[in-house]
Amino acid sequence: MADVAAPARRTPAVPAPARRSHRPSMAAPGQRLTRMLANLVLVVVGLCFLLPLGWIVLASLDARATLVVDLPDEVTFANFTAVMTPEQTWVPLWNAFVLSAGAGLVTVLAAVLAAYPLSRYRMRFNKPFMYAVLFGTCLPITAMMVPVYSLFVRLNLLDSLPGTIFFMAATSLPMALWMTKNFMDSVPLSLEEAAWTDGASAMTTLRRIVLPLMRPGLAVVFIFVFIQAWGNFFVPFVLLLSPEKQPAAVSIFAFFGQYGSVAYGQLAAYSMLYSLPVIGLYVLVSRISGSGFSLAGAVKG
Amino acid sequence: MATLAPAAAGTRGPGPQASRGRHLRRDARRLVPLAPAVVLLALFMLGPVLWSFYGSFTNAALTGPAAANPEFVGFENYANLLADPDFPKSLWLTVLFVVASAIVGQNVLGLSLAMLMRSAVAPVRAVVATLVVAAWVLPEIVAAFAAYAFFHADGTLNSVLSGIGVAGPDWLFEYPMLAVILANVWRGTAFSMMVYSAAIAEVPPEITEAATVDGASGVQRLVWVTLPTIRRSISTNLMLTTLQTLSVFTLIYVMTGGGPGTDSSTLPILAYQEAFKFAQVGYGTAIATVMLVIGAVFSVVYIRSLKPEVD
Amino acid sequence: MRLARPLAAGTAAAALVLVVGACGSGTGGDDGEATIKIAYQKFGNFTQADELFKDVKAEYEDANPDVTIELVPIEASQNDYFTKLALMQRSPSTAPDLMYEDTFMIKSDVEAGYLLPLDDHLAGWDEWDQFVDTAKQAGLGDDGKTYGVPMGTDTRGLWFNKKVLAKAGLPEDWAPKTWDELLEAARAIKKADPDVIPLNVYSGKPMGEGSTMQGFEMLLYGTGGTLYDDASSKWVVGSQEFVDSLAFIETIYSEGLAPTPQQALDPNVGNTVSAEWLPADQLGIALDGSWMPGTWLEEGTAPWPEWTEVMGTAAMPTQDGQEPGAVSMSGGWTLSVGAGTEHPDEAFDVLTMALDKENSLRFAIDNSQIAVRTDVAEEPSYAEANPTVPFFSDLVEVTNFRPATSDYAQISNAIQVAMEAVMTGQASPEDAAAAYDQAVVDQVGEENTTEG
Repeated sequence: MADVAAPARRTPAVPAPARRSHRPSMAAPGQRLTRMLANLVLVVVGLCFLLPLGWIVLASLDARATLVVDLPDEVTFANFTAVMTPEQTWVPLWNAFVLSAGAGLVTVLAAVLAAYPLSRYRMRFNKPFMYAVLFGTCLPITAMMVPVYSLFVRLNLLDSLPGTIFFMAATSLPMALWMTKNFMDSVPLSLEEAAWTDGASAMTTLRRIVLPLMRPGLAVVFIFVFIQAWGNFFVPFVLLLSPEKQPAAVSIFAFFGQYGSVAYGQLAAYSMLYSLPVIGLYVLVSRISGSGFSLAGAVKG
Repeated sequence: MATLAPAAAGTRGPGPQASRGRHLRRDARRLVPLAPAVVLLALFMLGPVLWSFYGSFTNAALTGPAAANPEFVGFENYANLLADPDFPKSLWLTVLFVVASAIVGQNVLGLSLAMLMRSAVAPVRAVVATLVVAAWVLPEIVAAFAAYAFFHADGTLNSVLSGIGVAGPDWLFEYPMLAVILANVWRGTAFSMMVYSAAIAEVPPEITEAATVDGASGVQRLVWVTLPTIRRSISTNLMLTTLQTLSVFTLIYVMTGGGPGTDSSTLPILAYQEAFKFAQVGYGTAIATVMLVIGAVFSVVYIRSLKPEVD
Repeated sequence: MRLARPLAAGTAAAALVLVVGACGSGTGGDDGEATIKIAYQKFGNFTQADELFKDVKAEYEDANPDVTIELVPIEASQNDYFTKLALMQRSPSTAPDLMYEDTFMIKSDVEAGYLLPLDDHLAGWDEWDQFVDTAKQAGLGDDGKTYGVPMGTDTRGLWFNKKVLAKAGLPEDWAPKTWDELLEAARAIKKADPDVIPLNVYSGKPMGEGSTMQGFEMLLYGTGGTLYDDASSKWVVGSQEFVDSLAFIETIYSEGLAPTPQQALDPNVGNTVSAEWLPADQLGIALDGSWMPGTWLEEGTAPWPEWTEVMGTAAMPTQDGQEPGAVSMSGGWTLSVGAGTEHPDEAFDVLTMALDKENSLRFAIDNSQIAVRTDVAEEPSYAEANPTVPFFSDLVEVTNFRPATSDYAQISNAIQVAMEAVMTGQASPEDAAAAYDQAVVDQVGEENTTEG
């Protein structure tokens, strides 16, 4: 959905705590108490956050998993082997990959092309357009699914992977465009001016000079769209109908409906397999942009 | 991360000597690369929005005679909506969900965590931050399963409670709204925490130190120094979490399905049920339109708060 | 439609649609080759249709190399199946050529223009006269044409676990005469073992039509009441019988004689009843369908060879034992051809193979259906496969059919909403019935209702 924090874009690349060093030597006794309390509260909150997460990990390894977080009596990978069949897991994961990568590519391409004139030329058109884009980032996509379904019926795009890819790309485009334009704004214009004097066209300078300089930024945008699309359940749930086209989010829901109340271990194992790629990508994008915290704006699955 | 620069530093304006006609032609040529983005947005964002307004005035359905020939019914769907007891209830549940889980839950907890982390030792800070962020990075449906298992009658929460001698209720059934609200706080707090961590890091340390020297207590520093300094982050974050929470579907759909009865049917769930489960596409579209209008109002407020940055 | 044109007006937009559309409709086969898409449900314990169509595909493609059969097993609970099927039918690119269609959806889908009339094709099919007349009725549209070929029919009654009943002091040939006797038995079971669920009656939205038909209508049609007055072609509102039926639901769910509402509101509960609760002696009595043994047979998803010993059957009694003393409901599924099919002849050809004597017999046995072909019903292996066949076949004498109107699907939803409100304690039977009456009036118009 369109959910990225603007404020985060002002986040410094350096992680917050690093900027202000602690001065334990100066800490008064009262402050030490505060510290202890803060640590204690954080540990409690952390535990509350851990319990639901822990269930997925432990249940996936438990031969007799229940709904309770519990250390497995015997650790087994049987849950994983049980769901790791082409029909159950690999095809849906592949579909999820096609959808996410397709949406990411379409979005990045459209965003780069559009960001260039918006970033490089001052035109009357810019401001209203950027307002419209900003407005688009805020619309609740969930609310659009019913009319989108009707529209897809009319356009004969129902159950079409490309149609779904283009729709997903369109919904993440406002945010991606906004991010891309900001990245591009930070590429100094002086480099291009030299190329222009040599007679290079705008598209040439974009390709040869601007894009290479903003590769990390584009990677962030791509991964951001990818993670969003990967986690999206509602859009493919409504727009894709054939079982063989369903991405993992939908097939895992079907699994939950049919066997979820008996095969908790397998459900958890499937959830792990499905989550790992985005967790890996998140770590990657944190590296690229310096700090996980600075991603506040970039990613919301 | 990219900075929200006021405008590209080297933006070139049209030269004063250029004639108006040449401007237009040149502008038009320069706008060509915008075409793919404009087409995508027009077709798949603007299109459905317009369609939503149109569809809400028809009796379109999935089956029966209205499926073959939907008719224009004027405001009938909206009149039915107002007469339907499920709608005000759903509206109220949506407001409750947004206020409790986003405005109060995620923002207060997120801000508290961000503040606490500044006083915590590094390992605690790192581990807790990772756990909070992990809940947010997971695909929504997996987070929903985890929350379902946690709040289920035979789930972790009740087994923890029975460990301290309390017989927990069937949360998903007896307190479905509480369960989905807490689940959404769990899932979404990371976002607010990160925004506030970043914002607080930008508060100049001299100010808070000066306040400390003046004898201000921790609470006083928070109320009089930190919060006013980061108020813009607070307002934008409030707006964004509100909009995100307004459109939460998967979490509720998996945990309670909107039930029991309609006790946790927020607007997205109600729209889905009416349109697809009960096959009344026109009626469901009317609900969707109401949501779009609510979202649009919030968007305008949000954009106004960001206005100086776009200009 | 009116908005689509201006939207797609831009050439770029049109080009995009063309490109995407072309990629999307990769299922066509216009070069003399036909692709027949078959949509059916596959969910939990219900895999019999999947197995049948897989074999039909192999067999038919062997015999007809120029025809490809594409199977679309829809993995969704019963309620979601209708949604998904309707979503598919709505769009020409996804509409199936052949589909597994519940008889109660036929009239509604005919009016929506989704189904193809089969009369011309049936006239040329020499096996059509093997099908019994009552079953043929179920495939009729409001225009009197036939839109579906029946795969089987069913009746409903009480299944009980003799071991559980014995513990409560109830005989092996238990047969309640009234609702009160049924409730007394449930209370006795609860008293004998509080951990056992005494009685399951499907209720609420997640079980969809199963709640309406196995649950509510089995009650209502035993009160002397009805949903629809055939004589005047009007829907009945404001009936005391409707309230009484809801009151029965309220009684069993509030007294703890039924599963907990959360168990009952799990869309998977149908699978749980047959595959877990009954075999594990966790449930005493189940108001359920004649197809139950399909799960327990050797080929089923939860084989349970002892079921013939453990399970008993009894007819569902009428409210106060009034005539005819027992009640049942009948439905069934058909195979229908999509109205938009490009290959109606091939689609019908596949249909006739899927429902020939051999395959009908197999489906009737595997899915414990009441046979709709006389040649199948006479087959010895059919009667041998399932000892409850005579019992459920006899219930045909007291059976009822659902209102055969295109509004029924919507009314059924309103019934599920009323049931769920009552079972969760959100509304009294009177209030829920009043809300139902209002929903009926909204749906069909005041002029099409009558006070009951």
